[in-house]
Formats: sequence, structure tokens, C-alpha cells
Amino acid sequence: MRNSFIKPRVKTLISPEFKLLFFFFSITLGMLLTSYAFLKIKAVMYETNIAELQAKGESLKTDIISMNGEIAFIEIEKQHAEGVYTSNTVLKESIHNLFDLVPQKITLSKADLKEDELVLYGVTPSKEVYEFLLLAPLRSIFHRSYTSYYAMDNGWYSFVSKNYLDRELAVK
Amino acid sequence: MKFHISRQMIYILSLSVVFLIVVFVFAFAVLIPMGKEYRVARMETKKVAYHVDLIQSEYDKVYNKLKNLKADNRHVIGAYTTIFNADRFTKVHAQHFESFSLSELTTPVQEGDFATYEVNTSTLINSPQGFYDFLDAVNKSDNIVSVNFPIHFERDANLIKSSFTMHVYAANQQENNTSQE
Repeated sequence: MRNSFIKPRVKTLISPEFKLLFFFFSITLGMLLTSYAFLKIKAVMYETNIAELQAKGESLKTDIISMNGEIAFIEIEKQHAEGVYTSNTVLKESIHNLFDLVPQKITLSKADLKEDELVLYGVTPSKEVYEFLLLAPLRSIFHRSYTSYYAMDNGWYSFVSKNYLDRELAVK
Repeated sequence: MKFHISRQMIYILSLSVVFLIVVFVFAFAVLIPMGKEYRVARMETKKVAYHVDLIQSEYDKVYNKLKNLKADNRHVIGAYTTIFNADRFTKVHAQHFESFSLSELTTPVQEGDFATYEVNTSTLINSPQGFYDFLDAVNKSDNIVSVNFPIHFERDANLIKSSFTMHVYAANQQENNTSQE
């Protein structure tokens, strides 16, 4: 027997209005959480990136210091090598000049070259030839020149010429 | 007019208000600080990246300078690290002399950044030109070599006997290699 003229309504725990409300709530919450997650992930990525960049910067700085050291050492090597090459060239010119200084009439038998000293041993036809042709130019180069002569049987003279550069005078 | 609010409507309104409060609390307590953190991190990244770019350009400049310096001074750099080989030196430079002999290398003396080895040399030459040629050639040799005083020349029949000291320079690291060998 039926007591009502209408059909009974199906009762649910949550009404359609609540369902709609929860649907919008969930969408809003989802958007909020997605935004949070996006920001969090990006912030972490940036922080990682910063750490990597800082490490790269430090490594580059270390490399720069090391390369600057290498550059400084190469510059020192270059300067030192140039000094050595120049000293060899100057030595060559000095010896060249010395041998050019000796006239045809005088024969050298021995020459000792030191930093501030030149000792020549040789034979000259006469003291005058030696004095005019060799001693004069030697005196213009060295500060002190001393010569000893030894008469030979053939009338020529063997000589020992000691010439000194005074470092203090040379500096002045 | 009678305004009737159902119980369900009250629930919905109450829930909406609670939700709104939650959203506001979340936004102000969590989302906005996180946004600030993100913005700061982004700015910091740009700043660090700019700084690293400056270091990188400095690195490139120094690297190019070093590369060019190495290319321009290849011979000098090689000469300081090449171990002095008396046999090879004699072979290369004997052409300038009638006879050419070297003594053993002495123990190195430290002179600042370099180790200096001394070697005594005796030669026989036809004319001083041989000695001049040797001095020119020694500047192009495999090592950095300086010819030093005292130099002794003496007539020996038709030849000139000469003896002098040479200094061979090596970069200090070579000394370690030599001692290891």
C-alpha cells in the first residue's frame, strides 16, 4: 500500500550543491598548490644554479691565478733569455772589436779576457808601433794600462799588456 | 517579504567563509613568501651569472694572453725545460771549430727562478770568425746558454786555442726532473 503520491527522492550523503562547492574548492586548492610547487621548484633550481655558477666562478678564479703565475714566469724566462742572448751578442762584438783593434804589424800570441781585465801577450816590431797602434786605443777603452816589453834576438819586442777597467769609475 | 535561508545554504556559506580564510592564510603565509623567495633567487642568479660572465671574460683574456705568449716564446720555454745534452750540443756546434770539447756539467746553482749549470769548453779555431759564428748559433740552440768570462785565447801553430766557461740555464722544475732521473 502506498502512503505517498510522489516518488521517494534518493537521499545521498552529499548534496549536488555541496559537490559543486567541493569541486570549485578543489580546483582553487589545486591551483594554489600548483603555484606553490612551481615557485618552490623554480627557487630550488635557481639555488642549485647559483651554487653551480659560484663553483664555476671559483674554479675560473683559481685558473686565472694559475695562468697569471704562468704568464709571470714566462715573462721572467723571456727577460732572462733576452739578457743571455744580449750578453752573448755583446761578448761577440767585444771580441770582434778587440781583434779588429790589433794592427797587422803586431802579432798576438795569447789573450786573457776577464770581466774587468784584458791581458794581451804578443810581439811588436818596436815599442813605438805598439804604443801608437795598440796602446792608444786600449787606453781609450780601459782606465789603467800597463805594458812590459822584453827585447828579442831579432830586435823585435815581446810584450805583456795588462789593461783594467775600474768598476767604480765605469759606473760614474 | 519573508526571506528564508535554508540550513543547507548556511552550511555552504559557512564552508565558503572557512575556505576563503584558509585560502587567504595560505596565500599570505606560504605562497607570497615563496614568491618572494623565488624572486630573490632569480635576481641572485642573474647577479651571480653576470659576475661569472665577468670572470669568464677575464679568464678568456688571460687565457688568450697566455696562449699568445706561449706561441711567441715557444723556443725560449722549450729551451728552459730541455735537459742539456752535451753530445748533441757538441755535434751541433762542432762545425764552427776545428776541435770542440765540453767538460761535465757541474751541480746546479740556484739563481732565483733558474738553476745554472757550468760547463767548461776547450776549442781550436782557424780564425776568430768561428768563435763569432758559435756565439750567434748558441743563441739559437736547444738550451739557454751564455758564454762567460774568463775567455782565454792562445796561438797554437796556425790555429787558435780557446777555453771559456758556459752557463746553461734551466727552469727550476727541470732540476726536479733531472734529479728524478
